[in-house]
Amino acid sequence: MSAVLVEDVSRTFGDVIAVNRVNLKVERGEFVTLLGPSGCGKTTTLRMVAGLEQNTGGRISIGDRVVSDAEKGFFVPPDHRQLGMVFQSYAIWPHMTVFDNVAYPLRIRRKSKAEIEQRVMATLRLVEMDKFAQRPAPALSGGQQQRVAIARALVFEPEVLLLDEPLSNLDARLRTQMGDEFRALQKRLGITSLYVTHDQEEAMALSDRVVVMHGGHILQIGAPEEIYQRPVSRMVAAFFGSPNLLDAKVSACEPEAGTRYFQLTVNGNGWQGKARASEKFEPGESVLILVRPESVRVGDQAADGALSWTGKIVSSIFRGPRTSIAIETSGVRINIEAPAILGLKVGDQVKVAVPAGGAWAIRPEDAQK
Amino acid sequence: MAVVADAGGSPDGKFAGALRRPLTPKTGILSHIASTSLGRNIGIGILLLILSFLTLYPLSMLFYGSLHSTPPGMAGEFNLDGYRQVLSAENVLILINTVGISFAKTIPAITLAVLLAWICARTDTPGRGVLEVLITLPFFIPPILTAMAWGMLGNKQVGVINMAWQWMTGTTDSPINVYSYGGIVWHMMQYSTPFLFLFIVDSFRAMDPSLEESSRMCGASRWFTFRRVTFMLMLPAIVSSFMLSLIRGIESFESPLFFGLPAGITVITTEIYNAINHRATPAYQYATALSFAIMAGMFLLVIWQWILLRGRSYTTVTGKGYSPNITKLGPWRWVTFSFCILFFIITVVLPVGQLAVGSFFKFFGFYSWDMLTLDHYSAVMQNKDFWRSLSNTMLLGLLGATATMILGGIIAYVTVRTRWRGRKLIDALAWLPWMMPGMVLGVGFLWAFAMLPGPIPIYGTIWALLLAYMALGTPISVRVMSSAYHQLSFDLEECSRVHGASWWQTLWRILIALAWPSFAVGWVLTFFGIIRELSASILLYSVGSEVLSVTLLKLWANGQAEQVSVIGLMMMLLVIFFRWVQLKLIKQRISTL
Repeated sequence: MSAVLVEDVSRTFGDVIAVNRVNLKVERGEFVTLLGPSGCGKTTTLRMVAGLEQNTGGRISIGDRVVSDAEKGFFVPPDHRQLGMVFQSYAIWPHMTVFDNVAYPLRIRRKSKAEIEQRVMATLRLVEMDKFAQRPAPALSGGQQQRVAIARALVFEPEVLLLDEPLSNLDARLRTQMGDEFRALQKRLGITSLYVTHDQEEAMALSDRVVVMHGGHILQIGAPEEIYQRPVSRMVAAFFGSPNLLDAKVSACEPEAGTRYFQLTVNGNGWQGKARASEKFEPGESVLILVRPESVRVGDQAADGALSWTGKIVSSIFRGPRTSIAIETSGVRINIEAPAILGLKVGDQVKVAVPAGGAWAIRPEDAQK
Repeated sequence: MAVVADAGGSPDGKFAGALRRPLTPKTGILSHIASTSLGRNIGIGILLLILSFLTLYPLSMLFYGSLHSTPPGMAGEFNLDGYRQVLSAENVLILINTVGISFAKTIPAITLAVLLAWICARTDTPGRGVLEVLITLPFFIPPILTAMAWGMLGNKQVGVINMAWQWMTGTTDSPINVYSYGGIVWHMMQYSTPFLFLFIVDSFRAMDPSLEESSRMCGASRWFTFRRVTFMLMLPAIVSSFMLSLIRGIESFESPLFFGLPAGITVITTEIYNAINHRATPAYQYATALSFAIMAGMFLLVIWQWILLRGRSYTTVTGKGYSPNITKLGPWRWVTFSFCILFFIITVVLPVGQLAVGSFFKFFGFYSWDMLTLDHYSAVMQNKDFWRSLSNTMLLGLLGATATMILGGIIAYVTVRTRWRGRKLIDALAWLPWMMPGMVLGVGFLWAFAMLPGPIPIYGTIWALLLAYMALGTPISVRVMSSAYHQLSFDLEECSRVHGASWWQTLWRILIALAWPSFAVGWVLTFFGIIRELSASILLYSVGSEVLSVTLLKLWANGQAEQVSVIGLMMMLLVIFFRWVQLKLIKQRISTL
């Protein structure tokens, strides 16, 4: 049985369709992230699970209980859904102390004083905020507020923890640290978590599975690696970093031994080689070849069947650990993240290659319809 | 657990309107009731009813009365005589007087207010926090008290100022006479300046210093920056204060009553008052027609204000807490300091001192040791009218402030936090009294109460005053509460809902718990408004339902300036006590939020 089940859920605001027939299943103990640009419907989806927004179509279940069924007009208000939630603004109530904030869900549930004391302190210890229990809430830094918000969401052991861009108000360094800490805590306690973010690095670092959304639709669901290396469409590919997308034609296609993928031989404008794909292509079909800039090796002797180009470096930007270079070859421009120690300069003639498995083939958008 | 669509209202205002639409035709009975929100419609209906009675009803009765040839409650015919009388040559002079006086006090008052606000918010003048409290104090003193005090201070024959002048120069001429145009303007300025100061000082304080710094970095001088950046950013606040001051000047009653009538200077409010109270046969139709005409004029002024300010409100106030640029004045800071103190002395110390002195001497104007007495205190203590009006005022103040703030809190919640249908109408109705002078609303209620069916005997009781005070106070209470709600993000409520609290629990534990300091501050403001109110009270009181301001006016008219001083002094103590409580509340709120 899954912890959260979202079936065909839609949400319209007047004529605007914010969420369009979304299906999603979150398993117990799983960390699932809804990822997408602003306005893609990810927050609305989360709010519908929370009960802060009512779905206009479809059905939502939490655990074995249906909490909202638009067709039957059935709706459980948020306070009866037993969820924990961390808001983007943290929503720490400024008129209470840290202790009171965290104790709030327990007081609402009329727990005994001793139990409240014990559970609040235990939860505060978990997020290392027990020293600040009597501090008034406004006297906290951003990171501390975030810990309190997490403690408050965890204190009554909710079935599912919902997080709405909880790290976006922190500075970059703290964001990574808090993210890692939270992921460790989540794994240790096995809390089912549904997380919303627009930051792809955050999504990849934290999640078991990532749900990429756009325009109210789900584009792809999968493990971070899969989404990154094997996107189903150009849109998903372009959402992570700035990949090279090269037009090519399929010359051969055969199933890969031992996997569910296919091995393609493709021809580009003056180059050719092998790429993987998740579906079968007919010879002569157009494909887009996705090559991540960091997968390209400079100066390597190309292995058999690997894609390779020779060209002139037209730009080079030193970024510390690596150098971003671009080479131009027979009308194709390829961006490469190269190790900084290579000392590449603009004007150098270099040979670059993509090792086997570094090239991924997807259908061009116009061909998908 | 089957809990059907949450009944009774939703805390998430953003999309609550859309949320409450019935989803599909085949819903269950329970959810059908909830989705048509019977409770919500009843609530909206009751709110509309109360508001209509408080604002729309007196307004339409005003129109009715202006066409009606006889006093309220008597059979008569409908004609335009009232409006014909309004269009007379004397009334042109009255209109010119009214507007002229209002302009004459607004221009110096706003200049002074900007200067004082700058000193308090943007310079290193010593003791700025205390100065600010002192400067704003005159706003909280009922103008009737300062008017009486200045009537004594600036009296041509026995006024302290003239006596001091004569003593210093050895002459017998009296340079000061408050019973004049100058006196009216002078008195209005005193309570209008701190009011404008309160409006302007925050926009001075909350300005992002980087806006000015970037001007300096572009090579602009300090003065150029002030003119082209600071002042221009402040302009919307200044223009809106200007309009507000103009409107309040036209509405003003106390100053022209005390200083204008004896000198034969009439403005619109005193003309209405005269027509009803000081003529052999009260000219109700004329007074009502005049009231309605002035209402219409106010309406045009307010529209003009809107046009002036459209799209001009720059948000210089952001959530970020930064300290504004402070100008270092060097030795000049003692000059600005003295300036503020001087303002305080003139507007508070002088009149209050006069009241204190006046209360201990047998006759005001004759200050020698053998004239010292406590007789006036015992006279006041034995004065039954005083005790009755004091208890009336206290009762009305406590009840009125509480009722007005609760009403304002509910209206603000509906208009700010929900998407209910009808909330725009509620907002507009609640705002209507904003442009009605107390005098006009008083006339409106006179008609309104008289036209009520027999079994509702409101007219002549203190409940008549209570309703009038509530109508006058509602715009402010709505404003205070809606700004309080605006500051609270929806997250705070939603977070409470998700973590298990019901709608009522959230309302109580989060919204009210967070908004109550604003509620208390608004309560004190409304309370002040009620104890100082004169213009509506003077029309609506009757024997037994006098309030303090009315009793004071009667005593003054009987020439008992000494007893007036005693009562005035007590009211001052009350004002200072409540102001202290209010400041304490604000301080607490700032330290916790």
